[in-house]
Amino acid sequence: MSSFPDALKERIPQQESGSPSPAGGFAAGLSAGLPVFLGYAPVGAAFGVLASRLGFSVWEAAACSATALAGAGQFIALSLLGGGATVPATLIATAVVNLRYVLFSATLAPHLKGVSRPARSWLAFTLTDETFAVNITGIRKGMATPASMAGVGFIAWCGWVLGTIAGASGAGLISDPRAWGVDFAMAAMFSALFVALAENRSHVVTGVAAGALVLALHWASSMGVRIEPSWFIVIAAISAATIATVASNGR
Amino acid sequence: MGAELSTAAVLALIAGMAVTNFALRAIPLTLLSRVDPPEIVRRWLSFVPISVMGALVASEVLFPGGATLPPLSNPGIPAAVVAALTFRLSRSFLGATMAGVITYVLLRALL
Repeated sequence: MSSFPDALKERIPQQESGSPSPAGGFAAGLSAGLPVFLGYAPVGAAFGVLASRLGFSVWEAAACSATALAGAGQFIALSLLGGGATVPATLIATAVVNLRYVLFSATLAPHLKGVSRPARSWLAFTLTDETFAVNITGIRKGMATPASMAGVGFIAWCGWVLGTIAGASGAGLISDPRAWGVDFAMAAMFSALFVALAENRSHVVTGVAAGALVLALHWASSMGVRIEPSWFIVIAAISAATIATVASNGR
Repeated sequence: MGAELSTAAVLALIAGMAVTNFALRAIPLTLLSRVDPPEIVRRWLSFVPISVMGALVASEVLFPGGATLPPLSNPGIPAAVVAALTFRLSRSFLGATMAGVITYVLLRALL
Protein backbone atom coordinates (compact mmCIF):
# COMPACT_ATOMS: atom_id res chain seq x y z
CA MET A 1 0.00 0.00 0.00
CA SER A 2 3.03 2.26 0.32
CA SER A 3 2.67 3.58 -3.23
CA PHE A 4 -0.79 4.98 -2.56
CA PRO A 5 -0.07 8.39 -1.11
CA ASP A 6 1.85 9.33 -4.27
CA ALA A 7 -0.73 7.90 -6.58
CA LEU A 8 -3.49 9.77 -4.81
CA LYS A 9 -2.13 13.27 -4.80
CA GLU A 10 -4.51 14.45 -7.50
CA ARG A 11 -7.75 15.89 -6.26
CA ILE A 12 -11.24 15.65 -7.60
CA PRO A 13 -11.55 18.63 -9.97
CA GLN A 14 -15.02 19.72 -8.78
CA GLN A 15 -13.86 19.90 -5.24
CA GLU A 16 -13.24 23.35 -3.86
CA SER A 17 -12.92 23.01 -0.09
CA GLY A 18 -9.42 23.08 1.37
CA SER A 19 -8.59 19.44 1.90
CA PRO A 20 -6.06 17.62 4.05
CA SER A 21 -2.97 15.81 2.80
CA PRO A 22 -3.47 12.46 1.04
CA ALA A 23 -2.56 10.70 4.30
CA GLY A 24 -5.13 12.77 6.16
CA GLY A 25 -7.69 12.07 3.46
CA PHE A 26 -6.95 8.35 3.64
CA ALA A 27 -7.46 8.44 7.42
CA ALA A 28 -10.73 10.33 6.98
CA GLY A 29 -11.81 7.60 4.54
CA LEU A 30 -10.94 4.88 7.07
CA SER A 31 -13.18 6.57 9.59
CA ALA A 32 -16.01 7.18 7.09
CA GLY A 33 -15.78 3.51 6.09
CA LEU A 34 -15.76 2.09 9.62
CA PRO A 35 -19.49 1.27 9.60
CA VAL A 36 -18.94 -0.63 6.36
CA PHE A 37 -16.15 -2.61 8.06
CA LEU A 38 -18.42 -3.45 10.98
CA GLY A 39 -21.24 -4.41 8.63
CA TYR A 40 -19.03 -6.53 6.37
CA ALA A 41 -17.15 -8.47 9.06
CA PRO A 42 -20.14 -10.57 10.23
CA VAL A 43 -21.44 -11.10 6.70
CA GLY A 44 -17.92 -12.07 5.58
CA ALA A 45 -17.86 -14.52 8.50
CA ALA A 46 -21.12 -16.05 7.27
CA PHE A 47 -19.52 -16.45 3.83
CA GLY A 48 -16.48 -18.11 5.45
CA VAL A 49 -18.67 -20.59 7.32
CA LEU A 50 -20.66 -21.54 4.22
CA ALA A 51 -17.55 -21.75 1.99
CA SER A 52 -15.73 -24.03 4.38
CA ARG A 53 -18.77 -26.30 4.57
CA LEU A 54 -18.60 -26.59 0.80
CA GLY A 55 -14.95 -27.69 0.94
CA PHE A 56 -13.03 -24.39 0.67
CA SER A 57 -9.92 -24.20 2.86
CA VAL A 58 -9.55 -21.10 5.04
CA TRP A 59 -7.10 -19.64 2.53
CA GLU A 60 -9.27 -20.42 -0.47
CA ALA A 61 -12.22 -18.67 1.18
CA ALA A 62 -9.99 -15.72 2.12
CA ALA A 63 -8.54 -15.52 -1.41
CA CYS A 64 -12.03 -15.53 -2.91
CA SER A 65 -13.13 -12.64 -0.68
CA ALA A 66 -9.86 -10.75 -1.11
CA THR A 67 -9.91 -10.85 -4.91
CA ALA A 68 -13.61 -10.79 -5.75
CA LEU A 69 -14.97 -8.57 -2.93
CA ALA A 70 -18.42 -9.36 -4.28
CA GLY A 71 -20.83 -9.78 -1.34
CA ALA A 72 -24.05 -11.14 -2.80
CA GLY A 73 -22.22 -12.54 -5.83
CA GLN A 74 -20.07 -14.76 -3.60
CA PHE A 75 -23.07 -16.15 -1.73
CA ILE A 76 -24.81 -16.88 -5.01
CA ALA A 77 -21.67 -18.61 -6.29
CA LEU A 78 -21.68 -20.90 -3.25
CA SER A 79 -25.33 -21.77 -3.53
CA LEU A 80 -25.05 -22.50 -7.28
CA LEU A 81 -21.91 -24.63 -6.85
CA GLY A 82 -23.47 -26.40 -3.88
CA GLY A 83 -26.48 -27.15 -6.06
CA GLY A 84 -24.27 -28.78 -8.66
CA ALA A 85 -23.80 -25.95 -11.20
CA THR A 86 -20.60 -25.94 -13.28
CA VAL A 87 -17.90 -23.32 -12.70
CA PRO A 88 -18.57 -21.47 -16.01
CA ALA A 89 -22.34 -21.33 -15.34
CA THR A 90 -21.64 -20.04 -11.83
CA LEU A 91 -19.30 -17.35 -13.15
CA ILE A 92 -21.87 -16.13 -15.66
CA ALA A 93 -24.60 -15.95 -13.01
CA THR A 94 -22.43 -13.99 -10.57
CA ALA A 95 -21.29 -11.61 -13.33
CA VAL A 96 -24.93 -10.87 -14.14
CA VAL A 97 -25.77 -10.25 -10.48
CA ASN A 98 -22.80 -7.89 -10.29
CA LEU A 99 -23.64 -6.02 -13.50
CA ARG A 100 -24.72 -3.19 -11.22
CA TYR A 101 -21.02 -2.49 -10.64
CA VAL A 102 -20.94 -1.32 -14.28
CA LEU A 103 -23.59 1.25 -13.40
CA PHE A 104 -21.74 2.35 -10.25
CA SER A 105 -18.47 2.57 -12.12
CA ALA A 106 -20.05 4.68 -14.88
CA THR A 107 -21.65 6.94 -12.25
CA LEU A 108 -18.32 7.55 -10.49
CA ALA A 109 -16.33 8.07 -13.68
CA PRO A 110 -17.09 11.78 -14.29
CA HIS A 111 -15.94 12.51 -10.72
CA LEU A 112 -12.62 10.75 -11.13
CA LYS A 113 -11.17 12.63 -14.08
CA GLY A 114 -7.49 13.30 -13.68
CA VAL A 115 -7.05 10.59 -11.06
CA SER A 116 -4.00 8.43 -11.82
CA ARG A 117 -4.36 4.94 -13.21
CA PRO A 118 -3.18 3.05 -10.07
CA ALA A 119 -5.53 5.07 -7.88
CA ARG A 120 -8.40 4.53 -10.31
CA SER A 121 -7.69 0.79 -10.39
CA TRP A 122 -7.80 0.59 -6.61
CA LEU A 123 -11.08 2.54 -6.50
CA ALA A 124 -12.51 0.21 -9.15
CA PHE A 125 -11.29 -2.89 -7.31
CA THR A 126 -12.93 -1.80 -4.03
CA LEU A 127 -16.19 -0.66 -5.61
CA THR A 128 -19.13 -2.28 -3.81
CA ASP A 129 -22.70 -1.22 -3.02
CA GLU A 130 -21.58 0.18 0.32
CA THR A 131 -18.32 1.86 -0.68
CA PHE A 132 -20.15 3.37 -3.65
CA ALA A 133 -22.92 4.77 -1.44
CA VAL A 134 -20.48 6.21 1.10
CA ASN A 135 -18.28 7.73 -1.63
CA ILE A 136 -21.06 9.16 -3.79
CA THR A 137 -22.58 10.74 -0.67
CA GLY A 138 -19.15 12.23 0.11
CA ILE A 139 -18.75 13.50 -3.46
CA ARG A 140 -22.18 15.13 -3.42
CA LYS A 141 -21.26 16.88 -0.17
CA GLY A 142 -17.93 17.95 -1.71
CA MET A 143 -16.01 16.11 0.99
CA ALA A 144 -14.57 13.10 -0.84
CA THR A 145 -11.05 13.01 -2.30
CA PRO A 146 -9.40 10.11 -4.14
CA ALA A 147 -7.39 9.47 -0.96
CA SER A 148 -10.47 9.37 1.25
CA MET A 149 -12.25 7.07 -1.21
CA ALA A 150 -9.20 4.78 -1.21
CA GLY A 151 -9.45 4.68 2.60
CA VAL A 152 -13.13 3.75 2.48
CA GLY A 153 -12.29 0.96 0.02
CA PHE A 154 -9.39 -0.30 2.12
CA ILE A 155 -11.29 -0.57 5.39
CA ALA A 156 -14.26 -2.21 3.65
CA TRP A 157 -11.89 -4.75 2.07
CA CYS A 158 -10.34 -5.45 5.50
CA GLY A 159 -13.75 -6.09 7.05
CA TRP A 160 -14.78 -8.49 4.31
CA VAL A 161 -11.50 -10.43 4.26
CA LEU A 162 -10.95 -10.58 8.03
CA GLY A 163 -14.58 -11.61 8.53
CA THR A 164 -14.16 -14.39 5.96
CA ILE A 165 -11.00 -15.69 7.65
CA ALA A 166 -12.68 -15.64 11.07
CA GLY A 167 -15.75 -17.43 9.74
CA ALA A 168 -13.84 -20.06 7.76
CA SER A 169 -11.43 -20.87 10.57
CA GLY A 170 -14.12 -20.96 13.25
CA ALA A 171 -16.67 -22.69 11.06
CA GLY A 172 -16.95 -25.67 13.40
CA LEU A 173 -17.72 -23.41 16.36
CA ILE A 174 -20.61 -21.50 14.81
CA SER A 175 -23.49 -23.88 14.27
CA ASP A 176 -25.83 -21.41 12.59
CA PRO A 177 -24.80 -17.82 11.75
CA ARG A 178 -28.45 -17.07 10.95
CA ALA A 179 -29.33 -17.26 14.64
CA TRP A 180 -27.53 -13.92 14.99
CA GLY A 181 -29.55 -12.28 12.24
CA VAL A 182 -26.50 -12.12 9.97
CA ASP A 183 -28.73 -13.01 7.02
CA PHE A 184 -30.49 -9.66 7.46
CA ALA A 185 -27.37 -7.47 7.84
CA MET A 186 -27.12 -6.76 4.09
CA ALA A 187 -30.82 -5.89 3.83
CA ALA A 188 -30.57 -3.53 6.82
CA MET A 189 -27.50 -1.85 5.33
CA PHE A 190 -29.23 -1.47 1.94
CA SER A 191 -32.25 0.14 3.66
CA ALA A 192 -30.01 2.74 5.33
CA LEU A 193 -28.13 3.32 2.05
CA PHE A 194 -31.44 3.89 0.29
CA VAL A 195 -32.20 6.76 2.68
CA ALA A 196 -28.64 8.10 2.31
CA LEU A 197 -28.92 8.19 -1.48
CA ALA A 198 -32.42 9.68 -1.66
CA GLU A 199 -31.73 13.38 -2.16
CA ASN A 200 -35.17 14.56 -3.16
CA ARG A 201 -38.71 13.45 -3.87
CA SER A 202 -38.03 12.31 -7.43
CA HIS A 203 -35.23 10.08 -6.15
CA VAL A 204 -37.56 8.47 -3.62
CA VAL A 205 -40.21 7.87 -6.28
CA THR A 206 -37.60 6.38 -8.63
CA GLY A 207 -36.20 4.07 -5.96
CA VAL A 208 -39.64 2.87 -4.92
CA ALA A 209 -40.50 2.29 -8.58
CA ALA A 210 -37.37 0.14 -8.97
CA GLY A 211 -38.46 -1.90 -5.95
CA ALA A 212 -41.95 -2.29 -7.39
CA LEU A 213 -40.43 -3.49 -10.67
CA VAL A 214 -38.54 -6.21 -8.80
CA LEU A 215 -41.85 -7.28 -7.27
CA ALA A 216 -43.47 -7.27 -10.73
CA LEU A 217 -40.62 -9.34 -12.20
CA HIS A 218 -40.96 -11.94 -9.43
CA TRP A 219 -44.70 -12.03 -10.03
CA ALA A 220 -44.28 -12.40 -13.80
CA SER A 221 -41.73 -15.14 -13.25
CA SER A 222 -44.09 -17.01 -10.89
CA MET A 223 -46.80 -16.75 -13.58
CA GLY A 224 -44.53 -18.62 -15.96
CA VAL A 225 -42.80 -15.78 -17.83
CA ARG A 226 -39.25 -16.97 -18.36
CA ILE A 227 -36.87 -14.34 -17.00
CA GLU A 228 -33.63 -15.30 -15.32
CA PRO A 229 -33.92 -14.10 -11.66
CA SER A 230 -30.27 -13.02 -11.59
CA TRP A 231 -31.19 -10.28 -14.09
CA PHE A 232 -33.99 -8.80 -11.94
CA ILE A 233 -31.92 -6.15 -10.15
CA VAL A 234 -30.30 -4.83 -13.32
CA ILE A 235 -33.53 -4.85 -15.36
CA ALA A 236 -35.45 -3.05 -12.60
CA ALA A 237 -32.73 -0.46 -11.97
CA ILE A 238 -32.14 0.38 -15.64
CA SER A 239 -35.90 0.65 -16.29
CA ALA A 240 -36.55 2.89 -13.28
CA ALA A 241 -33.61 5.19 -14.04
CA THR A 242 -34.70 5.46 -17.67
CA ILE A 243 -38.33 6.24 -16.79
CA ALA A 244 -37.14 8.88 -14.30
CA THR A 245 -34.87 10.47 -16.91
CA VAL A 246 -37.67 10.65 -19.47
CA ALA A 247 -40.17 11.92 -16.89
CA SER A 248 -37.81 14.66 -15.67
CA ASN A 249 -37.02 15.80 -19.22
CA GLY A 250 -37.61 19.51 -19.77
CA ARG A 251 -38.03 20.29 -16.09
CA MET B 1 -25.27 -28.78 0.35
CA GLY B 2 -23.94 -31.27 -2.17
CA ALA B 3 -20.60 -33.04 -2.34
CA GLU B 4 -17.41 -31.18 -1.55
CA LEU B 5 -15.73 -29.42 -4.45
CA SER B 6 -12.39 -30.27 -6.00
CA THR B 7 -9.46 -27.92 -5.43
CA ALA B 8 -9.25 -27.28 -9.17
CA ALA B 9 -12.90 -26.17 -9.27
CA VAL B 10 -12.41 -23.86 -6.28
CA LEU B 11 -9.29 -22.28 -7.80
CA ALA B 12 -10.97 -21.82 -11.19
CA LEU B 13 -13.91 -20.15 -9.48
CA ILE B 14 -11.66 -17.80 -7.48
CA ALA B 15 -9.67 -16.77 -10.55
CA GLY B 16 -12.78 -16.35 -12.68
CA MET B 17 -14.58 -14.26 -10.10
CA ALA B 18 -11.53 -12.06 -9.55
CA VAL B 19 -11.23 -11.30 -13.27
CA THR B 20 -14.92 -10.76 -14.03
CA ASN B 21 -15.55 -8.56 -11.00
CA PHE B 22 -12.56 -6.36 -11.69
CA ALA B 23 -13.50 -6.00 -15.36
CA LEU B 24 -17.08 -5.00 -14.51
CA ARG B 25 -15.81 -2.35 -12.12
CA ALA B 26 -12.85 -0.97 -14.02
CA ILE B 27 -13.91 -0.81 -17.68
CA PRO B 28 -16.64 1.88 -17.41
CA LEU B 29 -14.47 3.92 -15.07
CA THR B 30 -11.58 3.85 -17.53
CA LEU B 31 -13.66 4.60 -20.62
CA LEU B 32 -15.93 7.27 -19.15
CA SER B 33 -13.41 9.22 -17.11
CA ARG B 34 -11.85 10.56 -20.34
CA VAL B 35 -14.95 11.89 -22.04
CA ASP B 36 -17.68 14.18 -20.78
CA PRO B 37 -20.99 12.34 -21.05
CA PRO B 38 -23.86 14.41 -22.50
CA GLU B 39 -26.39 16.03 -20.15
CA ILE B 40 -29.04 13.34 -20.64
CA VAL B 41 -26.57 10.56 -19.78
CA ARG B 42 -25.46 12.43 -16.67
CA ARG B 43 -29.08 12.83 -15.61
CA TRP B 44 -29.68 9.12 -16.21
CA LEU B 45 -26.60 8.26 -14.13
CA SER B 46 -27.88 10.47 -11.30
CA PHE B 47 -30.91 8.18 -10.97
CA VAL B 48 -28.90 4.94 -11.10
CA PRO B 49 -27.73 4.71 -7.46
CA ILE B 50 -31.18 5.14 -5.95
CA SER B 51 -32.70 2.74 -8.49
CA VAL B 52 -30.19 0.00 -7.75
CA MET B 53 -30.65 0.47 -4.01
CA GLY B 54 -34.47 0.37 -4.31
CA ALA B 55 -34.22 -2.85 -6.32
CA LEU B 56 -31.75 -4.37 -3.85
CA VAL B 57 -33.88 -3.52 -0.82
CA ALA B 58 -37.01 -5.00 -2.42
CA SER B 59 -35.13 -8.09 -3.48
CA GLU B 60 -33.36 -8.71 -0.15
CA VAL B 61 -36.34 -7.90 2.06
CA LEU B 62 -39.26 -9.37 0.10
CA PHE B 63 -37.46 -12.35 -1.44
CA PRO B 64 -34.71 -13.41 0.97
CA GLY B 65 -32.60 -16.09 -0.70
CA GLY B 66 -34.92 -15.99 -3.70
CA ALA B 67 -37.89 -17.37 -1.75
CA THR B 68 -41.15 -15.49 -1.30
CA LEU B 69 -42.37 -14.95 2.27
CA PRO B 70 -45.98 -13.99 2.99
CA PRO B 71 -45.76 -10.25 3.85
CA LEU B 72 -47.42 -10.57 7.27
CA SER B 73 -44.98 -13.20 8.50
CA ASN B 74 -41.88 -11.53 7.04
CA PRO B 75 -39.93 -9.88 9.88
CA GLY B 76 -37.71 -8.20 7.27
CA ILE B 77 -40.36 -5.64 6.29
CA PRO B 78 -40.71 -3.87 9.67
CA ALA B 79 -36.98 -4.39 10.31
CA ALA B 80 -36.10 -2.60 7.05
CA VAL B 81 -38.39 0.28 8.02
CA VAL B 82 -36.65 0.48 11.41
CA ALA B 83 -33.22 0.52 9.72
CA ALA B 84 -34.29 3.28 7.31
CA LEU B 85 -35.85 5.43 10.05
CA THR B 86 -32.85 4.95 12.33
CA PHE B 87 -30.57 6.15 9.57
CA ARG B 88 -32.80 9.12 8.86
CA LEU B 89 -32.68 10.18 12.51
CA SER B 90 -29.09 9.27 13.37
CA ARG B 91 -27.22 9.40 10.01
CA SER B 92 -25.29 6.39 11.29
CA PHE B 93 -24.90 3.35 8.99
CA LEU B 94 -23.73 1.24 11.87
CA GLY B 95 -26.58 2.22 14.19
CA ALA B 96 -29.12 1.71 11.42
CA THR B 97 -27.75 -1.72 10.48
CA MET B 98 -27.72 -2.87 14.10
CA ALA B 99 -31.22 -1.53 14.78
CA GLY B 100 -32.48 -3.38 11.69
CA VAL B 101 -30.77 -6.66 12.61
CA ILE B 102 -31.96 -6.54 16.24
CA THR B 103 -35.54 -5.80 15.15
CA TYR B 104 -35.31 -8.66 12.67
CA VAL B 105 -34.05 -11.17 15.26
CA LEU B 106 -36.69 -10.13 17.83
CA LEU B 107 -39.58 -10.22 15.37
CA ARG B 108 -38.45 -13.52 13.89
CA ALA B 109 -38.62 -15.04 17.36
CA LEU B 110 -42.17 -13.74 17.75
CA LEU B 111 -43.64 -14.44 14.29
